[in-house]
Amino acid sequence: MEIRDENFRIWAENECVYFDGVLRLAGPDAYAPIYSLAAAALHENNGRVIFDLTGLEFLNSSGINLLAKLTIEARKQSDVQLVIRGTAQYPWQSKSLPNLKKLFPQLDLQLA
Amino acid sequence: MADLGGIRAETVLMTNTPTSSRPWGSFRAKFILVVGGAVLIDLLISGGLALWNVQRLSRDAAEEVGHGLEQASQDYIRTYANSTAAQVSLLLGQVNNDVGVLADVLQEQIDSPQRQADIGSAISGTSPDSVRLSFNPAGKWAQNAPGAPSVVSAWGYLLDKDHSPRPDVQAEIQASSILDLVAPSLLKSGSSKLQMYFIGPKERPIFRTAPYTDQAQTFDRLYPGHNDANFWDFFFPGLYESWQSWATGAGSQPVPDDITQTAPYTDAITGKQIVSFFHPLWSADRKTVAGTAGADITLDQLAETVENVKVAESGFGFLAMSDGNVIAISKDGEKTIGLRSASDTKGTGVTGLERSLKGSSQPAIAELANNPGTGIRHLLLDQNGETVPFMVIMKELPPVNLWQPGLVRKDAMSLGIVVPEREIYASLFAAQAKISDATNRIVLYQILAILLSLTIVTMAVLAVSKRITGGISALAGAARRIQAQDYSVRVAVASRDEVGEASEAFNRMAEQISYHTENLEQLVEERTAEIEDAKEEISILNAQLERENRRLGTELAVAERIQMMVLPLASELSSSKDLEIAAYMSAADEVGGDYYDVLEADGRFKIGIGDVTGHGLESGVLMLMVQSVARALQEAGTTDPVKFLIDLNSALFKNIVRTRIDKHLTLAFLDYDGNDMFISGQHEEVIIVRANGALERIETMDLGLPIGLESDISSFVNTRKITLEKDDIIVLHTDGVTEAENAEGELFGIERLCEEAVRLHEQSADHIATGIIDKLMAYIGSHKIHDDITLLVLRHR
Repeated sequence: MEIRDENFRIWAENECVYFDGVLRLAGPDAYAPIYSLAAAALHENNGRVIFDLTGLEFLNSSGINLLAKLTIEARKQSDVQLVIRGTAQYPWQSKSLPNLKKLFPQLDLQLA
Repeated sequence: MADLGGIRAETVLMTNTPTSSRPWGSFRAKFILVVGGAVLIDLLISGGLALWNVQRLSRDAAEEVGHGLEQASQDYIRTYANSTAAQVSLLLGQVNNDVGVLADVLQEQIDSPQRQADIGSAISGTSPDSVRLSFNPAGKWAQNAPGAPSVVSAWGYLLDKDHSPRPDVQAEIQASSILDLVAPSLLKSGSSKLQMYFIGPKERPIFRTAPYTDQAQTFDRLYPGHNDANFWDFFFPGLYESWQSWATGAGSQPVPDDITQTAPYTDAITGKQIVSFFHPLWSADRKTVAGTAGADITLDQLAETVENVKVAESGFGFLAMSDGNVIAISKDGEKTIGLRSASDTKGTGVTGLERSLKGSSQPAIAELANNPGTGIRHLLLDQNGETVPFMVIMKELPPVNLWQPGLVRKDAMSLGIVVPEREIYASLFAAQAKISDATNRIVLYQILAILLSLTIVTMAVLAVSKRITGGISALAGAARRIQAQDYSVRVAVASRDEVGEASEAFNRMAEQISYHTENLEQLVEERTAEIEDAKEEISILNAQLERENRRLGTELAVAERIQMMVLPLASELSSSKDLEIAAYMSAADEVGGDYYDVLEADGRFKIGIGDVTGHGLESGVLMLMVQSVARALQEAGTTDPVKFLIDLNSALFKNIVRTRIDKHLTLAFLDYDGNDMFISGQHEEVIIVRANGALERIETMDLGLPIGLESDISSFVNTRKITLEKDDIIVLHTDGVTEAENAEGELFGIERLCEEAVRLHEQSADHIATGIIDKLMAYIGSHKIHDDITLLVLRHR
């Protein structure tokens, strides 16, 4: 399963969902397919689910809203341990990702 | 033609499909050229090699034969020269022998004076004519009368007053009469001699010669004055003296032999060219010269031998003295080697013959005279204006004592044999011609064989190429027919090879083309109908899209309107007496969700800044709700910034759930009551530049949570107090500023923003805002602006 255009690529491998490139989609409707892909990963896997954002250079505010919704979704599923891997290399990540931890304190946020 | 198999033949093209449009560009022509060329080159190489070998063989054979024949020819001519030289030597040896015999007899007489006198008186008795001389008044000499076997002359200076020979002279005359006994028989036998004679010693040089001739008369005629000088001095100057020196031991013989020879000269008696052979006689005690015995031979005799030389057609011989004077040669030979005769009539002594090689009109011969040598040499002679190669061999004869006026020296005659090379090599040339003929014949046969092979190969290639290329020609022809839109054409499959396969494939393609062409109209109709349907579908979709666009356009317009309507008025910005506020906002192409506000109630100012996720009508509505709730809470007198945010979030969360607006927003407030400034809520960093230029950055992450995500954010909200002094400035911004990109995709960033704020902090809030925005726009350049850009600058008055 993979979603891509010229600027980004999102794909799932086992329990891991990778986000790569620059995501600047217009709004919730545009982000819906990505939400489905990631939510499916949350639903289909027991135990650990990893969102790997280390290759995601930029995410606009609608995208951050998507991550918040996914975090809230994970919070509803007690059997899922969500891990979000990020990097301090990209400023938006250190600015926005800690909010997810606030939404869901059990979230394993790995900011390298 | 072969069986067509399953292929339906509508038109079967024969293999002779015309390819007339490109006779030399056709496949067949190329095939013929390649194969024919290969064969031609092969034939030329093998033929050339054969010809070359034959030529070489012929050359080698000719060379070998030539070498052998030349060797044989040279051996022959060398042998011939040797044998001729032997003949000449033999002739001369015989003369020498005859002279020797005569000399021996005369010497015997001298050695036995008594016997000499006896024999002399005996002959006088029997043949008085031999010893009785009578004076000739005209010549002033005495000579015996004709009729005797020999003539004897006594010169004037040998006679006494009464014209009779002196007694000692008379005695010599008597003694010499023995010649009458010996000479006639010697003249008859042996080699042919002109005459034999005795000459007395210098004191009494009588001259007795057999056979009898009018010798004194002849001398008078040819040699005037001879009677006044001593015979020896007149005729043979130096000769007598040489002999004398041999006798006394003062001089030695140049060649160890008594016989002395003269060079050819004109005989005084016979007028012929002769050579004289002398054998000196000695006194009994051998201390002095006592006369000489002699014999003359005419040059004819030598010439006969030499002229008898007959080598090949026109080869000839010649006999030359060492000085190059040719003494014997045939007339033709004389002409060939360019000799010029010049008789010397001057001077004393016998008259010589001057016909020297040195004077030859042929330079090669003149050169030969200067450097005679021996062995075979090749000369180029001019013959009737044409240069002809000749072969010349020179053979030196045994040396002799030769008298020439004044002295006696060693001399060796040379025999030369001259043959035109073309004659001596005639057989060689004939052999070479035969070899050449044979070679030419072989070459001709070889060329004929090559031509014949070429003809056969060409015919075979033509025949085979017709078969091989026939199929391809047929294919090409059929393809042209198809091009001319004759889709009924089919090719006969004549072979089972690749051409056959191509033909079958072609036929299948032709069938398909034919099928498609015939069904084209129907296909077009079907496709047209499909396209019509699609077109209708597209226009329906188009109409839908238009409606959608209109709706979206309207929505955006409404959203933009709401955003602008919500923003504070300029009068509201300048309503504070302590704070100078400048605001800048630029909406992106597709309106973003930036929000800022300045709310005033009872002297308390609440300055808000936020960013709604996404854009469009929903963002606008959410913004409007935020503004309304904030205004309501402000009006309701909620002074606690924490409670303010918790209540605002709670109200909005419920409304978001109801309206199903799938959005949230970051939102921060600055509360200012005239003394202190409190920051609450989570948004971008707040930048403070103190009056002295010191920079402070306040992180707001821990002061709240995005609004609308959680129903209760009380555990996350906090405040932070900032003491604000005069001329301190605060800069608020949305991420549209820090995340603006330049052409290289690099972000403007918080650092640049801080730098600009510090740089401009002493200026008015408006100038600071304008300066930062100018810098930002210059940074972005012509690159796309992705998001709304909002900047608020507060300055403490």
